[in-house]
Amino acid sequence: MKEYSIIGKPTPNVDGPAKVTGEAAYTIDMTLPNMLYGKLLRSPYPHANILSIDTSKAEELPGVKAIITGKDTPGGKWGLWRRFRELSDQQALATDKVRFIGDPVAAVAATTEEIAEKALDLIEVEYEPLPAVFDPIEAIKDDAPMVHEDFPSNINATRHIEWGDVDKGFAEADYVREDRFVLEAAHPCAMEVHNSLASYDKGTGRLTVWTSTGSPYFVQQNLAEALKLREGDIRVIKPHVGGHYGGKNSTMPDAVNAAILSMKTGRPVKIVYNRDEEFTTTEHRTAQNMALKIGLKKDGTIVAFEVKTMTNGGAYTGLGATTLYLTGTFITMPYKIPNYRYDGVRTYTNIVWGTSIRGFGAVPAKYCSETQLDRAAKDLGIDPLEIRRKNAVIPGYEAPGQYKFESCGIQPCIEKMAVRVKEKWPKLEKDEGIGYCAFAYMSGGIFNWIDTPYAYSSAHVKVNWDGTVDLYSQAADVGQGHNTVAAMICAEELGIGIEDIRLHMGDTAHAYTDLGAWGSRETLMNGNAIKDAAAQVKQKLIDIARLKLGENIAYDLVAKNKRIFLELRPERGLSYYDLVKDAIRANDGVPLTGTGHYTPHNKGMISPAYGMGIMAMKAKVDRETGHVTVQDVLVVHDSGQIINPLGARGQVEGSIHMGLGYGLCEEMPMDQGMLLNPEFVDYKILRTRDMPEIEILDVPTYEPNGPFGAKEAAEATIAPAAPCVANAVYQATGAEFYSNVLKPEKVLKAIREAEKKQKASKATGK
Amino acid sequence: MKQQLKIVVNGEPYDLFVEPKTLLVQVIREMLGLKGTHQACDSSSCAACTVILDGMAVKSCSVLALQANGKEVLTIEGLADGTKLHPIQQAFIDNWAFQCGFCTSGQIMAAKALLDENPNPTREEIQEQMDGHICRCTGYNMINEAIRDAAKRLQSEKSAQSGKGAA
Amino acid sequence: MAKHYRCPMCRKICAEHLDLARHYLGQTDKKHKEWLKTQGLSYAALIKAQVTEFGNKGYQALADVLKKTAAEVEI
Ligand code: FES
Ligand code: FES
Ligand SMILES: [Zn+2]
Repeated sequence: MKEYSIIGKPTPNVDGPAKVTGEAAYTIDMTLPNMLYGKLLRSPYPHANILSIDTSKAEELPGVKAIITGKDTPGGKWGLWRRFRELSDQQALATDKVRFIGDPVAAVAATTEEIAEKALDLIEVEYEPLPAVFDPIEAIKDDAPMVHEDFPSNINATRHIEWGDVDKGFAEADYVREDRFVLEAAHPCAMEVHNSLASYDKGTGRLTVWTSTGSPYFVQQNLAEALKLREGDIRVIKPHVGGHYGGKNSTMPDAVNAAILSMKTGRPVKIVYNRDEEFTTTEHRTAQNMALKIGLKKDGTIVAFEVKTMTNGGAYTGLGATTLYLTGTFITMPYKIPNYRYDGVRTYTNIVWGTSIRGFGAVPAKYCSETQLDRAAKDLGIDPLEIRRKNAVIPGYEAPGQYKFESCGIQPCIEKMAVRVKEKWPKLEKDEGIGYCAFAYMSGGIFNWIDTPYAYSSAHVKVNWDGTVDLYSQAADVGQGHNTVAAMICAEELGIGIEDIRLHMGDTAHAYTDLGAWGSRETLMNGNAIKDAAAQVKQKLIDIARLKLGENIAYDLVAKNKRIFLELRPERGLSYYDLVKDAIRANDGVPLTGTGHYTPHNKGMISPAYGMGIMAMKAKVDRETGHVTVQDVLVVHDSGQIINPLGARGQVEGSIHMGLGYGLCEEMPMDQGMLLNPEFVDYKILRTRDMPEIEILDVPTYEPNGPFGAKEAAEATIAPAAPCVANAVYQATGAEFYSNVLKPEKVLKAIREAEKKQKASKATGK
Repeated sequence: MKQQLKIVVNGEPYDLFVEPKTLLVQVIREMLGLKGTHQACDSSSCAACTVILDGMAVKSCSVLALQANGKEVLTIEGLADGTKLHPIQQAFIDNWAFQCGFCTSGQIMAAKALLDENPNPTREEIQEQMDGHICRCTGYNMINEAIRDAAKRLQSEKSAQSGKGAA
Repeated sequence: MAKHYRCPMCRKICAEHLDLARHYLGQTDKKHKEWLKTQGLSYAALIKAQVTEFGNKGYQALADVLKKTAAEVEI
């Protein structure tokens, strides 16, 4: 492997000093002179017609500066599935009817938050409750209440994927099994709630919005639609973001209503959700029902696979339709599946909607497929690691019409795992088990339902007289560490230090478009754009160096250690800083600039590259209480050339934490559309005492589509966590699980059923 | 009726007037503009808002401002020594002990109180003490390692100082 | 030159009726949904059959109708 100066070296976070001193400003920390505070009045009904809204009493309250209802908004609808216009279904405030408990119906701007809240109490809304629907099975019935007009039986989106000859595949299988699952919803729970600060300039008619988002460009597009303004008249700035995890892709009513209120009052307006609003009205991981049918040969080779999914979509679309598609994709990875069929339907229901939460479809999908695979392996008498090795893809594997793996280290990952598990856990105690799950995940999405006319990623590099570099991009650091990765890639390409780079990120006015932080896309896609931009500048420096050195043109020049020199004669070279001065002089005094961009082409439907690996967990089950303790975690993963090992480890650790929550304790119980646990007291997030230690081993590969061979190192490891726990319990006790959240009651019940089954099979065996 | 609040924050004395129901976190964030202390819940259950009150780590959202009358508060802004980061802050950076950073001020302040009490804590002791803190990003292990690393740094700082004192 | 079939509601052409049915049920606009009624089919019922039972039941039912109704094109 190539030796880099910066890439691959553990590098502290470039935002570190700001974040450990409290200086890092999040949107929630920002105020502007003359600023007003906005609040939203929300529907108490899951489904109701709005008959009338009376704001007169509220308007009389001193300190109230504006009150708006649906009719006062510009009325534009927005969404992220812009290629299908009818799926642009979000609106600032409900006009005719409300579709979930929490749908906003009015917004207030006042001089203090307290006054704004008081004003909400004084607004009188008359509703006519309508029959509501909360479950996908009910929603799809012919006579089900319609959440949106023109969507009979509440079918929001459907997805079909098929390759090979599935029916023939099943006919040839020696072993076929079907399993049905019910997956619970989970909330991303970013520590910084959704909040936005909007400032409208009356003089120019331009709008600036600071917001806690994963994609400033999505917000810019959506605001333009909602407000019927031109995109270019809207500037969106992403300050530091206190957590995203997929829950901050959609533009939400906070941003849009803050903007409308600012346009009405001519003053800056800030809207901050409280934790209850965050839980009850912002996007979560969708609850869904899945049915899986798998056919294998006696030796464990998968010959056919069929998957059906119905998701409880909720009131609006978000990126939920994409999640539906990716559920059907990631469930096949990283295995060779010659014959495959997937059907998914996302239903509209009268609950808050589900979307693209971290792992983007892979989380529920892998839970089902990997627990099913363990059961099949047991029936066939095959070791769970061996069945995964046997079916794992190899480099160059292609799922027809869907995706192709170029760099692909899954086989060596599994081999390394087999060796390490034996050393690490040579012996199991009673009621202990080891659960496995193999996984793969995209490095940014190729699909363009957002319908951007721009390159997927771009970056702009400017080199100043003194050699310092300004790097501009809309790419979003949301905590994952992309700012550090961006600086590292830029510095490596130019052969300089991170301290030479100043970042200007996440601002739509400062840079060309980048689609933002979702689907683990920034390292590969934005990284390619940055590398491209920096390479253009480097070429200019190399040209000048060639001129000055006067060497044989056959020599290659490289930029490294702040010098540009002959690759084979390192002693012959020039200082980067001197060359920059010469180059600017030669350029009529204009700083050196490069503008790079990246859009994937001819890379299938999903992603140009895939991170992958295998996870193992050792867990112990208490047969008396049903309590499951995850004792130890081992991950072997292939993330290509890892850019920053510190950041990559952070992503794996954090993903496992959230994935374990999905497997053990996080749930969103609802009653008639009302969330029952909208606080951290009741919504259980794993705390530090619950976290096992995690050992992470790398199998480096070189990804030809990524910058310096890099690919995804962020989200892949969330999906395997929950199936690993379930499989560990299965291996220890035989208990089978057909839903996530292994609460003690559920574990005890499953153990009893397993014991019954074992007795019965013994009896018939005799 | 507003009442007088005399309070020292990060070594700076303040003479303020607050409502009886005003929370310490409101004084810190809104009246003093120290935005490094974050709030992430409304139910006293995340510890993002942790500050040090007379040497004890407290959730500033769960303390009435007037309960802090006559007391000393240390927030994240008061931890560094001028431009030199506190060893805990440096350890958090070097160990990648934060991602989004939103819970970080609270974690660092709690770690400070913990290390003042117990200069050499084990992994389990840290878990015990810090269990009230939610971090949605890191999975906690790297925070735990940073705190143990900070403990080492503080001890070697101390022994360097006492070495100097002896000489 | 090979025989293809045209979607009754848009320009899409496919070589197989089953593929055309897949296209058809993937559309979310009103026009595509409405035409099904004129053929005595229910959009919801077709989707439901496709997604709740293993196999290609919903698509097959529509493909059978398209066999009779979709125009042939040579390309
Ligand atoms: S803000 Fe959550 S405990 Fe204080
Ligand atoms: S670093 Fe993001 S919540 Fe802890
Ligand atoms: Zn058509």
